[in-house]
Amino acid sequence: MSETALEIRGVAKRYAAHVAVRDLSLTVPTGAVYGLLGPNGAGKTTTIRMILNIIAPDEGTIRVLGRPNTETAVLDRLGYLPEERGLYKTMVVRDVLRFLGALKGVGTHEADRRIDEWLDRLSLRSESKDWGKAKVEELSRGMQQKVQFIGTLLHDPELVILDEPFSGLDPINAQALKDTVVDLKRRGRTVIFSTHLMDNAERLCDAVCIIARGEKVLDGTVAGVKAAAGDRTVALALDGSADPAVMTILHDPTLVTRLDDRSRSFEVTLADGADAQTLLTRLVGAGARIQRFERVQPSLHQIFLDRVGATGVEPGMSGHG
Amino acid sequence: MGKLWTVIRREYVERVRSKWFVIVTLFGPLFFGSIMVLPGYLSVRAMREARVANIRIIDATGAGLGARVARRLAPTPLQGEAQAMAAVDTVAPADVTATEAALLDEIQARTLVGVLTVDAATLQAGTARYMGRNAGSVGEVQAIESAIKQALLGSGMEAAGIATEQADALLRLRVRVSAERVTDEGKGGSGLANTIFGFGVAFLLYFSIVFYGQAILRGVLEEKTTRVAEVIVASVKPDILLAGKVIGVGSVGLTQQIVWLASGIGFYTQRSRIFSLLGMEGMPPIPMPSIEAPVLAALVLFFLLGYTLYASLFAAVGAMVGSQEEAQQAAQPVIMLLVFSIIFAQPVLTNPTSRLAEAMSWIPFSAPIIMPMRMTATPVSWTEITLSLLGVALASAACVWLAARIYRVGLLMYGKRPGLGELLRWIRQA
Repeated sequence: MSETALEIRGVAKRYAAHVAVRDLSLTVPTGAVYGLLGPNGAGKTTTIRMILNIIAPDEGTIRVLGRPNTETAVLDRLGYLPEERGLYKTMVVRDVLRFLGALKGVGTHEADRRIDEWLDRLSLRSESKDWGKAKVEELSRGMQQKVQFIGTLLHDPELVILDEPFSGLDPINAQALKDTVVDLKRRGRTVIFSTHLMDNAERLCDAVCIIARGEKVLDGTVAGVKAAAGDRTVALALDGSADPAVMTILHDPTLVTRLDDRSRSFEVTLADGADAQTLLTRLVGAGARIQRFERVQPSLHQIFLDRVGATGVEPGMSGHG
Repeated sequence: MGKLWTVIRREYVERVRSKWFVIVTLFGPLFFGSIMVLPGYLSVRAMREARVANIRIIDATGAGLGARVARRLAPTPLQGEAQAMAAVDTVAPADVTATEAALLDEIQARTLVGVLTVDAATLQAGTARYMGRNAGSVGEVQAIESAIKQALLGSGMEAAGIATEQADALLRLRVRVSAERVTDEGKGGSGLANTIFGFGVAFLLYFSIVFYGQAILRGVLEEKTTRVAEVIVASVKPDILLAGKVIGVGSVGLTQQIVWLASGIGFYTQRSRIFSLLGMEGMPPIPMPSIEAPVLAALVLFFLLGYTLYASLFAAVGAMVGSQEEAQQAAQPVIMLLVFSIIFAQPVLTNPTSRLAEAMSWIPFSAPIIMPMRMTATPVSWTEITLSLLGVALASAACVWLAARIYRVGLLMYGKRPGLGELLRWIRQA
């Protein structure tokens, strides 16, 4: 097995009206859970479509599982869950899954065995009801999403690519998806997913790449990215809400460059030259009742905001990241 | 190849399994069966029900004309033995009025259908009186008139010294003209049958192309609106998906036409058995068109190429739009091309050698419908057929190429329907 599951080198994709991706390079090691992070319109979906050879890059090369992704055989070893999801509505669930499996080279007999396994596992089949025999349109939205996961994973892909997998999922399916990702990692599979939900990424990913305006902003392991962002972050929690005097200190530009205000808890980025000790003294002096004051590594969310900012989305770009 | 097969199989199986396919496919044999059997059956039934044999004849001629008329009105073997011959009352001319009055009561009491009176005037001038409940039926009155005429002819022939049997044989003589078509290659087939067949072929081609072309449009649109396409194009190149769709849906159409054709041939070859089952022996044969094997091969080629041309255009429309309503609008130009072909079917058929007919069988968009019709209705030189086929082949290759490019880009593009400028950009970009 190749050491790297995915290698993108100097890839660019231009459309008539805008540049979707410019000079993007990244490497995903085999067995990693990798997050592709960025605001809407950053070029995530375009990148994923190029990885899957749905669209061809204008420049650069992409290698998947050690082979150029233009080889059709290697694409059968990938699993893809698109952001925009759907199935043939009038088809029977089992037939849809057989069809999706057959497109990846899984025979009917083997597909049936795996479909049974998955239907049981995602509780789509019980003594009383086998949803595998129902038409897709008879299923609830949540059940259709489960069928879609099964379709993505039926051929036991070595590299799984999930585009905004959490969008539109109910909490139960979101948990099922997280469990599945953990299980895939345990079995040595590589998972790449795009998201703009930093909390999920921070919890699930080994490594991340943040892109904005079609360009890579930073990449690396989650630990590495956080370490590189320095220790200029303070997690602060107050007993009761902050009074105006406290807020004035927190908005003092000589002390604080960025404040993530969550009403009673704050993530504070210290200004250059400012000292955490000074901040603490001033807060106590202003009468703040402090529950927590801790120097922490910044969250991915904080790093994302720092590096991408509110201007992460290029005007006029919409639709697909 | 395996993936193409997978796509074809899905398209085929899902469609053939649908209720609509079964209904429409079974409708074919039903239709063929009824146009072949029904007219004959209805006319036989009408004859069976005809009540002309069940009347009373008052004969005041004194020459036995009433009995002759009764024999002419007697049921033929085709109509079964159930009905008796009309009864004849031979009366003196003076008693006619009284007998008529008595029988009128019977007609009103519904024990008798009608009364026919023949007398001296009938012998001299051919006039007779009929009164009955069925006097309004033109067919039945005509049957009576013809029976009287034959009876008069019969008695005239006998008077001229011709034996009764001979006279009967002469009177039963039927005249039928069979019109044969003369072509450059010789003669063969029935002219009318060929024209009907030509129109049938054109209509079948038109119907299949519209029906299955729209099926492709809906299929592409379904994949696009449900977003299934997103997953599928990660496994299959759009070109293969498009090809699989066109071939799969085309195979469904072909299956249907084979069922129709087989049932048509079945009905034709088994028709004497079917007629005898319905008690309709002796029906005249149905005229059949003469179609040689090479013409048939050309017809199949025209269908396949024409279908491919229009199917790819419909697929491109499906990839361009985002909803059923938009699709209807965007498909208009393609439908117009088809309608344009079929509205000229009538003038081309009535004058298959005209300039219009020639032009229409050269334009690649109308050729797949007009040329097959023209070549079944009238002989067309093989050079012309080959060149027309070549034109359709080139045009359909160009349409497939264009459609594949629009499809590739459009399938994953949502939002506003592209204008012409953007469409050109898609074609360049793909």
